[in-house]
Amino acid sequence: MRLREKIEDGRFLFTAELGPPKSSNGNVIRRKSAHFRNIVDGVNITDNQTAIVRLSSIAAAKILLEEGLEPVVQMTCRDRNRLAIQSDLLGMAALEIENVLCLTGDYQRFGNHAEAKGVFDLDSVQLIAAAKSLSEGYFLSGDKMKTPPALCIGGAANPFADPLEFRVLRLEKKIRAGASFIQTQPVYDLERFRYWMRLIREYGLHEKIAILAGVMPVKSSRALYHMEAEVPGITIPQKLIQRMENAADSKEEGVKLAVETIHQLKEIEGVRGIHLMPLMWESITPRIAKEAGLNHNANTKLDQRGEQI
Amino acid sequence: MTKKNSSKKGQKHIKMSGRDATDTLATRQKESPSRKEKALSKFMLLAEDLVKVPFFRCQRCGECILSHTGFICSQRCPKRLRNGPCGGTGEGGSCEVYPERKCIWYLIYRRARRLKRIPLLNRIEKIHNWELEKTSAWLNVLKKRIEPPIFRMKKERK
Repeated sequence: MRLREKIEDGRFLFTAELGPPKSSNGNVIRRKSAHFRNIVDGVNITDNQTAIVRLSSIAAAKILLEEGLEPVVQMTCRDRNRLAIQSDLLGMAALEIENVLCLTGDYQRFGNHAEAKGVFDLDSVQLIAAAKSLSEGYFLSGDKMKTPPALCIGGAANPFADPLEFRVLRLEKKIRAGASFIQTQPVYDLERFRYWMRLIREYGLHEKIAILAGVMPVKSSRALYHMEAEVPGITIPQKLIQRMENAADSKEEGVKLAVETIHQLKEIEGVRGIHLMPLMWESITPRIAKEAGLNHNANTKLDQRGEQI
Repeated sequence: MTKKNSSKKGQKHIKMSGRDATDTLATRQKESPSRKEKALSKFMLLAEDLVKVPFFRCQRCGECILSHTGFICSQRCPKRLRNGPCGGTGEGGSCEVYPERKCIWYLIYRRARRLKRIPLLNRIEKIHNWELEKTSAWLNVLKKRIEPPIFRMKKERK
């Protein structure tokens, strides 16, 4: 069953994130994918995240597909103009990759090629509309094509950045443009997330789109500090940092925190799934899935997975 | 925040679909402009700059959406977003790229709320036609390449 059908089916989703290597070594992706097999419904492949050059997300997605996983290709507007976007979307579909997550992209100044020209020909709402238009058989120029690509389009939302109310309007725009699932920034501030979800429910948006709440397990309080300082648009309650600092085993505490967060997110009305972002810590996925009760895919394969780890 | 009221007559243009956004044919120039038009465009651009640059810090995109964005030019955004803020807005509405500045969409939202023009932010803005860059938006409105600005909002009845 593919991700698109699972979304339509209305079941609780579990996706994860995988960063391609900063080299041409495809085996890194194969090795990391073992941690996700038979657990997740989809694996996001980041597209030059934080503006640092990495292996192409579409190439990485093809490797994942060969490994028997369902890839979700992230596509940013930073690196491509409308010609490249359309050609990449067609190329993806030809490789039988159908999930695309449309993002604006981190600004190039923060990466390792700060002097690069940022493209930003389209923005993320327009990118979603462009992908939708392609899947309906029309190029942006208005020309018709013979074989339109089958695409399942997603977007991102940040429930923590100001102005919060505008974020809800923008999500509604993304739905109108043609998105069928949304992944959020990592949730640490549950109170704020609950407030955002209340706004979403007020507008009835949770019925129109599958909202996947982001969860990022951390190994230490240092990672939290770093995120608070470096990553724009993320708020981390002081209480959590304190808790991680006081923990005897910070890795253990990180797992506990992630599992607790997932349990709480599951109870919020309108949350249709979890998007796990185990940055540089892919191996923790099976454990978190087990403890948070997310390995609903196939219990029979648990032993088999044990061998793989 | 008011609930959107899309079905009302006269407000339909506010509720644009993704299809409207990808319709690039509307703004496309069918033939290259004549000499006369070029001269007119230059003159109009000069007149427009005199108004728009000092008052709105206009970036001369030629496809003006100033009236939809609370009369603050959205093209001052480093990513030149036309449909709302990116995910990087910091605490208190600071810009991701230049933290010393305010996010332009943060300012737009505040202004639009004050002017009761939030429904206009609901529009999905068209994909930018870069051929219109550095041309006169006023002339483009007259030539019907772009939509006219919306000054008056129909009042919503309670």
